[in-house]
Amino acid sequence: MAIVIQPYRKEHESAVQEFNRRLQASGDHNLVFSQTCVPRWLPPANGNPVWNEFYVALDSSPSGTSVRGAYGLKQEALFVRGKGVQRIACYHHPLSEGIVDRAFTSVGMLLARDALARQPFLYALGMGGAETPIARMLKALGFSLTAIPFYFRIVRPARFLRQMQALRDVRWRAILMDIAAASGTGWLAINSAQRLRRWNGGMSEVVVEELSEFPDWADEIWERAKETVNFATVRDARTLRLLYPASVTSTRRLRIRRNGSPIGWAIIGIRRKDAKFGEMRVGSIVDCWAMPENALAVVRAAAQALEKDRVDLIVSNQSNQVWCDALKRSGFFSGPTNFIFAPSKKLTELLEPLETGSFHFTRADGDGLPVNF
Amino acid sequence: MSTFDEVRGIASDILGIGTAKLTTDSSPDTVESWDSVQHLNLVLALEERFSLQLSPEEIEQMKTLGATAALIESKLQASPR
Repeated sequence: MAIVIQPYRKEHESAVQEFNRRLQASGDHNLVFSQTCVPRWLPPANGNPVWNEFYVALDSSPSGTSVRGAYGLKQEALFVRGKGVQRIACYHHPLSEGIVDRAFTSVGMLLARDALARQPFLYALGMGGAETPIARMLKALGFSLTAIPFYFRIVRPARFLRQMQALRDVRWRAILMDIAAASGTGWLAINSAQRLRRWNGGMSEVVVEELSEFPDWADEIWERAKETVNFATVRDARTLRLLYPASVTSTRRLRIRRNGSPIGWAIIGIRRKDAKFGEMRVGSIVDCWAMPENALAVVRAAAQALEKDRVDLIVSNQSNQVWCDALKRSGFFSGPTNFIFAPSKKLTELLEPLETGSFHFTRADGDGLPVNF
Repeated sequence: MSTFDEVRGIASDILGIGTAKLTTDSSPDTVESWDSVQHLNLVLALEERFSLQLSPEEIEQMKTLGATAALIESKLQASPR
């Protein structure tokens, strides 16, 4: 057996299907790699600033070629204050046959090392926490692990208390939550706590409009606001049109104006069903951009749009302190996070000092858009 | 100390298992704690201890502890310290 990692091509598709079948035989139906070599999300195209590409680990033997692993790279541009724009890549969807067959234990490492060889300025995002096998492996390879804060605001307390499965795993707590929901004490307590945190202001003369696509005005806001963060993946109009095209309806594009002038934008969406949220309708402030003084107005506009969409809970992952503060001043609470930003050793060196709060990463970075919405 | 003994000592530390329980036939199939992360840690530790780089093809040869020691031994002989 000799493992060779190559770009995923048409002739590998049937072997990838076999690979998926072997992984899914373990009973975990999330273990699946793209059945098509051309990515459905962000396919490569000449001149595009952001695109996806896939790689497969091929195991050739006299009886044929099998796929033993695969991963994706989202190629994109990162603005680093004082250093300009740097090409980087997000390492995502790494899958190894080692998950189900210990004969292939080394494949996971080979995938990560191959990705690093192709793009030393590499990062991973999410990963389900810092203690998962993928996060531990990247840490061993010299990646830094930084947790990106998580915020939530409960819109419908009774639904939250009855449906929030992540909190109802202990029987006595589930009973208390049912009592709080039925008696109205939960509604009172949650609303009181959220109102105490909410700052009433910053919304005068603010108008929200939904866009079908990002016009060029987004460039101006990008250029002005990028100098207020240490680093952020490029969010100019051209990139935004690729990330949030008019054809995608699972997320909504909001433009926020004050006194007639655009001050920022937000991407909102309804999250896919997730067992930990039960039957709740969960809205998300996926992405946002504005000058710091306008962050509060943008967050509040996005939250109001989601409330009008009859969500039970609003969630958001934001790394930047300005946006974290805007969420807190809009009645959001911080919660435990398993959303990890992990830059490679070389990328960490470029970004140092890697201070949480100084950079802008959200749920829209990495591969989170098609996965969650 | 033989190369195998050195490799076994490193593997013992990483896998959290006594050296007496590690033989030339020990592998991810026979050692519960030898998962993909510990396999990476083993590769990184061997590269550091013996001041060498293991290629993907060589990493693939590390099916057992004995094969790993043989690989390290051959690389050391190819480029003596």
